[in-house]
Amino acid sequence: MPANALNRICYVEDDEDIQRIVRMSLERVGGMTVEIVGDPMAAIARIRAFKPELVMLDWMMPGMDGPALFREMRATGDLKDLPVVFITAKASQRDLDELRAMGAAGTISKPFSPKELPDQLRAIWAALP
Amino acid sequence: MDFARTATAQAAARDLQQSADPRMVLADRVEHLFAQMPIAIGATIVAGIFATLELQGRWYTELVWYWGAIVLAYTAAATGLLVSYRRSPTRHADAEQWLRSIGIAALANGVSWGLAGAVFFRSLADDQQVFLSFLVAGVTSIGIPIYAASWPIFAIYAAGILFPFTYVLATLGSRLFFDIALLVPVLYAVYVGIAYRLHQVFASGYRLRHAYSKLTEDYSALNQRLGQQLVELEEARRQVEASGRKLALFAERSPIAVFEFDAHGIVLSANPAAETLFGYGAAELIDRTATETLFQTMGKADIARRWRELIRSRSPMFGLRAASTRRDGAEITCEWSLTPLVNAENRVISVIVQGRDITQQLEAERMKQEFTSTLSHELRTPLTSIIGSLQLINSGVLGDIDKDVLELTSIAERNGQRLLDLINDILDVEKIESGKLTLFPEPMQLSDMVAESLTLNRGFAERFKVRLAAEGELPAVRVNADRKRLLQVMTNLLSNAAKFSPEGSTIQVGIQVEAGSARVAVNDHGPGIPEGFRGRIFGRFAQADMSYTRQKGGTGLGLSICKRLIEMMNGKIGFCDRSGGGTTFWFELPVHH
Repeated sequence: MPANALNRICYVEDDEDIQRIVRMSLERVGGMTVEIVGDPMAAIARIRAFKPELVMLDWMMPGMDGPALFREMRATGDLKDLPVVFITAKASQRDLDELRAMGAAGTISKPFSPKELPDQLRAIWAALP
Repeated sequence: MDFARTATAQAAARDLQQSADPRMVLADRVEHLFAQMPIAIGATIVAGIFATLELQGRWYTELVWYWGAIVLAYTAAATGLLVSYRRSPTRHADAEQWLRSIGIAALANGVSWGLAGAVFFRSLADDQQVFLSFLVAGVTSIGIPIYAASWPIFAIYAAGILFPFTYVLATLGSRLFFDIALLVPVLYAVYVGIAYRLHQVFASGYRLRHAYSKLTEDYSALNQRLGQQLVELEEARRQVEASGRKLALFAERSPIAVFEFDAHGIVLSANPAAETLFGYGAAELIDRTATETLFQTMGKADIARRWRELIRSRSPMFGLRAASTRRDGAEITCEWSLTPLVNAENRVISVIVQGRDITQQLEAERMKQEFTSTLSHELRTPLTSIIGSLQLINSGVLGDIDKDVLELTSIAERNGQRLLDLINDILDVEKIESGKLTLFPEPMQLSDMVAESLTLNRGFAERFKVRLAAEGELPAVRVNADRKRLLQVMTNLLSNAAKFSPEGSTIQVGIQVEAGSARVAVNDHGPGIPEGFRGRIFGRFAQADMSYTRQKGGTGLGLSICKRLIEMMNGKIGFCDRSGGGTTFWFELPVHH
């Protein structure tokens, strides 16, 4: 379990409505600091600049999907140990298992409850080594 | 050579004779003996009358008359024996007994002559003695043809005549008579020897007769069987021909493509459906290889390996999918079944390959999957926004809202959730039906799961003003089940119970462990299940009354999903009426040890 409480989160998501709901949920309900990235192609640079403690990735995005971005982060030296949580509406259990095997910290299925999302993330955070 | 052939022939004759039934041979011999009996009786009467008249000697005159009467009595008894033999329906079966009777009769006959010889000889004049000797020799000799079918009978007959006579001759005091007495036993032995030989000839003759008649019987039975077999063979040939015609007709009219390949994978024949499927005439398909026609896209090595396996195992292969190109260039995918035909020597004579075009079916499957995926993603994403927004508003984190607005946003959230449940249920049904639903069973405490389900559904039950409670202390029992799916089942059962329970009532959930299975029961105080609905309650889109749907919510898929999920976990699900009113829904899972 990491020593500090979870605070800085970066969320890569193309749907603007969901961006807003997640921002409100994490900021208002969870009291966290949130950076939203709409374009997955720009995600690496924005994550590097924001220095989050945890990254949330949408699964299906135009240009580059969540798993592809995750693989790229794993291949990037300074981002490879960053905890990643997937938010997805369609992944099969096998896909999720595969992501876990690749090192994803957790998965949250859509639709999620904005009331509970901060707690779900804190639970994943607490389970980290 | 000749000797060998003769020996062989003799052996064959011996075998043949031995095939005769000895009981039937005996019956024939007895029959022969009785057939001779009238001669014996006639001869006895004639000889008896002559003897009675001629043997009036110096003394014993009355005794001669008595003797004549005895002989007559004997002939009467013998005639009676003959008549009763002729009349007996079981005379052949009882042949042995009749043989004994005729033996006794022969002994009596012999003794009567022996008596005459022994008693009267001394009292007779010389010429009378010659007559008596002649008579004795005569009746002895005549016994040979009469009793020849059984030498022991002749032997006792002749012994009865000759031995008393011999004794008298030997003790008469005359040297000449003494010499004759010495010769009589020799004569007796010679006679018995002749009778013995005759007996053998008779027995052999009768044996041959029976063997021959048996052979004839066998032969005619054989002939009959052969005829029958010929008829059956002809019938079988006709059936084979008819089924051949039927098969040809099946292949010709079948909508399924049928090919016949030889064991090396060369086309021998193709039916009209195969011609239509590939756009080639049968004449163009014949002599081409399986790789050129049916399995173009499969690797040559792969198809060669599968073909070898098919020929080696001689067992049919089903569901082989392969893409081929039609004559017009269109790509089609077919599903084939391959059946090797094996002859009596277990050699593969040909391989029947039947198949159909599944291109459209595959396309339909792909579209259905795409549709499901779209339903899943494209409907859930906007629902995430809708429900998420409403939850944030209703939770109050954004500040206080007007009471009327809150009521409306709560309705919107609840119905958004209902829409989401419907989508999830439809996706579950689709997954279950396409066999894509995978369970992740793990050993778990059933009571923990039940307690968790009560906590999770308490909020929902409160909306119907219903309480959820565990029935006493839940016993600890482990089951091997998918925790998430089991919670889904519990949520379904609890929400159904809550929807139909009267306000203020309590739904009690209990666990019973019995005979290796753990039963979870959800007991409500609802109105019970209507009679007409009981049979289809676990069916799809099952609802007792459509008006309930509007009133209570729900898709009517919940229980059918529960049933499938519980069955996939090797369990059972059902319901029963409660004695005090209300219904119990239960499911059982095997206890995990």
